[in-house]
Amino acid sequence: MAHPDEPQRALNEPAASRFGHDIIVAAIAGFGAFAMLFAIYLAIVVPGKWLSGVSERVWPASDLVLAGGTGAVHGGALVVSAPDATGTTLVTLTTDIRSADFLGVEWDIKGLPDGADVRLLWKSDVATRRTNLANGVVEAGGLRTFVLARDPSWIGHINGLALAIRTPLAAPISIERVVARPLGALGIMRDRLREWTAFEGFNGTSINTLTGGADAQDLPLPPFVAAGVALAALLLIGLARIAPRVYAIGAACTIAGLFVAGWFVVDARWAWNLAHQTRATWGTYAGKTLAEKHLAAEDGELFAFIEKARALMPATPVRVFVAAGEHYFRGRAAYHLYPHNVQFEAFRDTVAPASWMKPGDWMLVYHRRGVQYDASRKLLRWDDGPPISAELKLIEPPGAALFLIQ
Amino acid sequence: MNALGILMVLVAWCGVWLMGTSLVLAMRTPRAWDAPGEAAWTKGAGFLLGAFVLTLWMRALSAIGIAFGILSIALPLLLLTAAALWIARRRGSLAWDALRSTIVEAFCARELDGWRRYAWLAIIAWLALRLAMLLVDVTLQPLYPWDAWIQWATKARVWFELKHIVPFVDLDRWVAAQGAFYTDSSPNYPSTVPLWQVFSCIVLGRFDDVLMNLPWWMLGLAFPIAFYGALRRMGFAALAALAGAAIIVTLPLVDVHVALAGYADLPMAAYFTLAALALLAALETRDRGDWMLALLFAIACPMIKNPGIVWLLTLAVPVVVALMPRIGVKVALAGFAVALVALLVLAQVSPTVMGYRLHLEFSPPWGALFDSLFMLGSWNILWYGVVAGAAFGARDWLAPRIAPLTMLVAAGVLFLFVVFAFTNARAWVETQTTINRAVLHLAPLIVAWTMVTFRAWSLRRDAHATVAAHDLAGAAG
Repeated sequence: MAHPDEPQRALNEPAASRFGHDIIVAAIAGFGAFAMLFAIYLAIVVPGKWLSGVSERVWPASDLVLAGGTGAVHGGALVVSAPDATGTTLVTLTTDIRSADFLGVEWDIKGLPDGADVRLLWKSDVATRRTNLANGVVEAGGLRTFVLARDPSWIGHINGLALAIRTPLAAPISIERVVARPLGALGIMRDRLREWTAFEGFNGTSINTLTGGADAQDLPLPPFVAAGVALAALLLIGLARIAPRVYAIGAACTIAGLFVAGWFVVDARWAWNLAHQTRATWGTYAGKTLAEKHLAAEDGELFAFIEKARALMPATPVRVFVAAGEHYFRGRAAYHLYPHNVQFEAFRDTVAPASWMKPGDWMLVYHRRGVQYDASRKLLRWDDGPPISAELKLIEPPGAALFLIQ
Repeated sequence: MNALGILMVLVAWCGVWLMGTSLVLAMRTPRAWDAPGEAAWTKGAGFLLGAFVLTLWMRALSAIGIAFGILSIALPLLLLTAAALWIARRRGSLAWDALRSTIVEAFCARELDGWRRYAWLAIIAWLALRLAMLLVDVTLQPLYPWDAWIQWATKARVWFELKHIVPFVDLDRWVAAQGAFYTDSSPNYPSTVPLWQVFSCIVLGRFDDVLMNLPWWMLGLAFPIAFYGALRRMGFAALAALAGAAIIVTLPLVDVHVALAGYADLPMAAYFTLAALALLAALETRDRGDWMLALLFAIACPMIKNPGIVWLLTLAVPVVVALMPRIGVKVALAGFAVALVALLVLAQVSPTVMGYRLHLEFSPPWGALFDSLFMLGSWNILWYGVVAGAAFGARDWLAPRIAPLTMLVAAGVLFLFVVFAFTNARAWVETQTTINRAVLHLAPLIVAWTMVTFRAWSLRRDAHATVAAHDLAGAAG
């Protein structure tokens, strides 16, 4: 006779065995559902043969020619700082590929403004005098792969590619490489995996939103996993109804279990990303003092200047007016200056009027156009306003200065 | 130096946690510690209560002109802790051995058997790993996110250096004050979160914009513990409650708000959720301690972030529904209708309330909203689960025990909808700057509601199956 506290092994074992069996069935159904969904996705997006014997062709930035616009190859990327006089940036590339082997062309580009008019141009040996074109889709500062399988002009040997971008450039764009892709099933699977597992480091927008991998994704992971969970749930609930001997777990447990499993699949990606971020944070800041951490941060140069400025300012708080062209620098400069009594405009590039200032106040200028100082007369003015008397206390090129209002 | 600093701040905040827990113990009626969820709820809610009471005391110190310092802050709070523990002991609420053994039991999951125990331990290990990574980030990264250094830590820096609270005012008053007041980009924001940072720096004896953010990590630990306790008190099995708490800890947006600490959105979410869960518990148990906790957490809401005033007002909805079981739901629905009519009235005018221009330009940014909730990585697959769980449990939304929570969630969703569909905040949805943070305030409560409605569907389905089996057996007999 068993002790009352001992588990009822003989009775539990068949139930446990049955549960284990059902879990295996659920796992098979789950994998099957995801495989089925991915197969459907591939059937929709693979433009040609599923299995291609051709490897992708890659051209580095050094092979690119900037035919229109201003820029140079820097750090392994063609950095374009300005378009030509007509507002067009034109980048060309000499190629020799069979159009039938390569159904997609990817330009690995960063910094494209939203709404930019981007076109792929190409020449083939079929109609040598004709320049063909396809419209590009800008997404998250990059460019979606040009899929040319159904373009009748994508024919013969392609002996030249070009990218035309018609947009003003507020900031430089960079092109790292051009890739001709066969767009077979394996290649597309690799692309999706690469997008899902792309490292998304913390940046200024992370506190608001996370993309969950690459900036632009053809098939985001959350909807794919959610669809897989839903399909697996349908399969298993149907199986429990049709063949309860094969699978007997109730619908609620099935749905909840699959949801939790799906959750941890997506979470594994996030955990992996977070681990990379933690390693990056460790690499940047571990073992440093607070000041060294700030110097290692994105605004380290500004921090160093503010530290010098603070050393020249009184120990007790004084009023300081901050002028900087970029709102990031205005806010960061002000933050580093507290507990001095700082005035800054967080969102607009405006400087306080001279009438607000009185002797003993300070003004810190950081990379701000329109500020002029006449050293001989000790007069400071900005934005064509009236000059006020001020003494230059600190200056660091380019464009960082501290003034004491007199 | 860094390790010592981390230790000092952690110990100080553990003291705050102890103070809050002792207050919870003193407030609540004596209960059996092994009752499901009691220990976890007390511990988790204790941190949030302690962190709030700490800032109330710092406000009081500033009001009576006593400078911030270790002694001026910590000594009275130590006395408060001792007094609360004495009251709890007298009332029979204090049983440290029972509390400790309950927590140890909970972590080891000895009550669970077979696969449930392995699943429990795996999830605990997974969460421990997550919190360890977040601890590394939060103890190394200088204050990083935007709003943190233009409107929150600005105040912390000044108040730490001056050792008391000085007013932050708008620009016109700042100019007129000739240096007597301070200004930043949001001078009207509440002081609770900056005071947490001030306290960390007081403990360290220096302004340290890395370690001052440790309370966010502790919040990331305490809030899920309280959430787990609340789910257990609502009758969920241990593993289901742990899964619910794990959803909170592993939400990418929550993790980012811990790692890149300094925003008030995660605290807002935590205080509002606990206020709601304590209130719902109070409406069922009529326990004085639950009422007091609900009241304190509700009061905290507007003191965390300005939208907290609206979250506070939404808490009236479940009270109405619960106290008037026959007509409460109708009254709440009528209230929602009145709110919608008010929006139509607002079509004629354009007042500005709390910085938001109110004007009826119904143009919800559905696309951006859908991307934020369903396509991007901020929420894992949460909203798919919410939609599915809510759909399954739709018939039970207004069941007597669920209706107060349902109407509270509805009020919250209505608030978010109005903000993003009718006001100039719409632009922030389109640029993905605010939508997720605003939704975060309500998300944990929606997780609890989804679990409750899904369970109701599951129980109804089981009951139906049992009746069907009985009928079948009867027919066969």
